[in-house]
Amino acid sequence: MSHVQPAGAGTPADAGMPADAGMPADAGMPADADLQEIVGEVWSSYLDPEGLHPLLPADPAKAKFDAMSAVSITGSWHGHVMFACTEKAARNVAAAFLAMDPSEVSDEDVADVLGELANIVGGNVKSMLPNGCFLSLPHVVLSQDTSTHWPGVDRMAVLSGTWQGESVTVSMWKQRDGGTPQ
Amino acid sequence: MKILIADDSRVMRQIVTRTLRQAGFGDHDLVEAADGRQAYELVTKESPDLVISDWNMPEMTGVEVLRRLRASGNGVKFGFVTSECTPEMQQQAKEAGALFFIIKPFTAERFDEVFSPILG
Repeated sequence: MSHVQPAGAGTPADAGMPADAGMPADAGMPADADLQEIVGEVWSSYLDPEGLHPLLPADPAKAKFDAMSAVSITGSWHGHVMFACTEKAARNVAAAFLAMDPSEVSDEDVADVLGELANIVGGNVKSMLPNGCFLSLPHVVLSQDTSTHWPGVDRMAVLSGTWQGESVTVSMWKQRDGGTPQ
Repeated sequence: MKILIADDSRVMRQIVTRTLRQAGFGDHDLVEAADGRQAYELVTKESPDLVISDWNMPEMTGVEVLRRLRASGNGVKFGFVTSECTPEMQQQAKEAGALFFIIKPFTAERFDEVFSPILG
């Protein structure tokens, strides 16, 4: 997979993250650099408009999360776009989106904001896919000590980082041909 | 002027409202709709000067709202704010009579660029 270049204000200067070894190449399909560009826009628009709290690159293998939102894409392409972060980062994301203090943010606020974030990233990803794709409603999980499984998919792009000291990951998962388990 | 913000996401309606304020359009009257049908009804009831609409909404999509308004002879200034942007969508929007197409995420600068000529 390609080395990722900076995409603009609020994005990491270098996020040369390893992709999963042995992943089939998807020529012309969204990759790490595309996710980075989309996520960079989200950060510069809503999460770090002043350029004070950039998303710093981190190893996806060490990413932690207990809050997750995802949208599914179906039609001419099948897969998921997922946003995952720690509960504290989720509150900070919600606070930034809603212009509130993190201490005032409710669980409903967090769920709504994480869902909207997945919808924004997913919508932008969909624009890069072949015609005839549909975006699902977002699905949000806010829970600690829960293990999340995505059967029958392979990760094809990932952006992992640390934001204000907390783990944040955005990833794109493609359904295997036929969707059958390995 | 009166502006109708149509989006099924409460968060996005808040962000659009805040971004309008940041772009210097905070003095206008704002009305909100949470789905396409409500947007259509509020346009006919409230007669806004401008509609800022999401594309994908329950009941009626944004472009369906616009087409129905135009079919009924309503020429309200109307445009889209959406996270999806394909050439086909932009073509549909243009053909239906949309004035603008803003992609999420957006900035106050983008709002200023688009809405200054419309709102003055």
